[in-house]
Amino acid sequence: MLLSSFKIVGHSMEPTISMGDKVLVSSIPFLIFKPKVGDIIALKKNKKILIKRILQANPSAGTESYFVRGDNDKDSLEIGWVSKKEIVGKVIFKI
Amino acid sequence: MMASLFIAISRILPTQIAYAHCDIPCGIYDPHAAQVGAHTVIRMTQLLSELKRVDETKAEHDVARITHVKDDHGNMIEEELGTLENDYFKEEHFKEYPKLKELIASAVKLSAKTRQTIDMASAEQLLETVLKISEIFYKTKNLVPIRVKSPYPTQREIVVYK
Repeated sequence: MLLSSFKIVGHSMEPTISMGDKVLVSSIPFLIFKPKVGDIIALKKNKKILIKRILQANPSAGTESYFVRGDNDKDSLEIGWVSKKEIVGKVIFKI
Repeated sequence: MMASLFIAISRILPTQIAYAHCDIPCGIYDPHAAQVGAHTVIRMTQLLSELKRVDETKAEHDVARITHVKDDHGNMIEEELGTLENDYFKEEHFKEYPKLKELIASAVKLSAKTRQTIDMASAEQLLETVLKISEIFYKTKNLVPIRVKSPYPTQREIVVYK
């Protein structure tokens, strides 16, 4: 997805992104730079797009993975580490 | 400048759904809220249809308030079904009930339609779809779902379990 628009369902990214907010997601930044800690990303899990923040990065080639979690002060027991190929883009703008 | 550009782009692009659900698998899931939401959409549609326009200002005020509640409950249905779809229903549920995914997608579309229109037929379809999803939910819990007449002014059914 070079550029896509998403409406947010859920509260796990509050207060940064709230339920009903729209965000623009682009794959272009990660074609140029590696994802980094602090980035808010869109990732594909079980055929669904999830929005989370990167908290840790393991950018080694071959095992490139990132630990993601919502901003809503809750432990990420279900998402955790995701591989680079699961990341579909970076949130570049919140409307 | 950049913000205006992004806002303009977002209006052109088709909007998809992205999920930002609670990350803790709390185990507390229930289709009841979605059912209440669907009944509320029906009730608000009824109220909009029955609205009297004797006092135009009051009527406009009432339309705004009723529409707001209809919108809120439509959003609530989408949120509740999204939670069930993403956090509760697993692959085995979708395999056992092959229409489940289609029912959820249909409910989300109907919810959007009922928010955009004053359409009782869509509101009724929305409730029926939510009831079917609720029945599947209880079956996945090894409970026996039953439809009973709701105690709401909508005079329609809700799904509970034995």
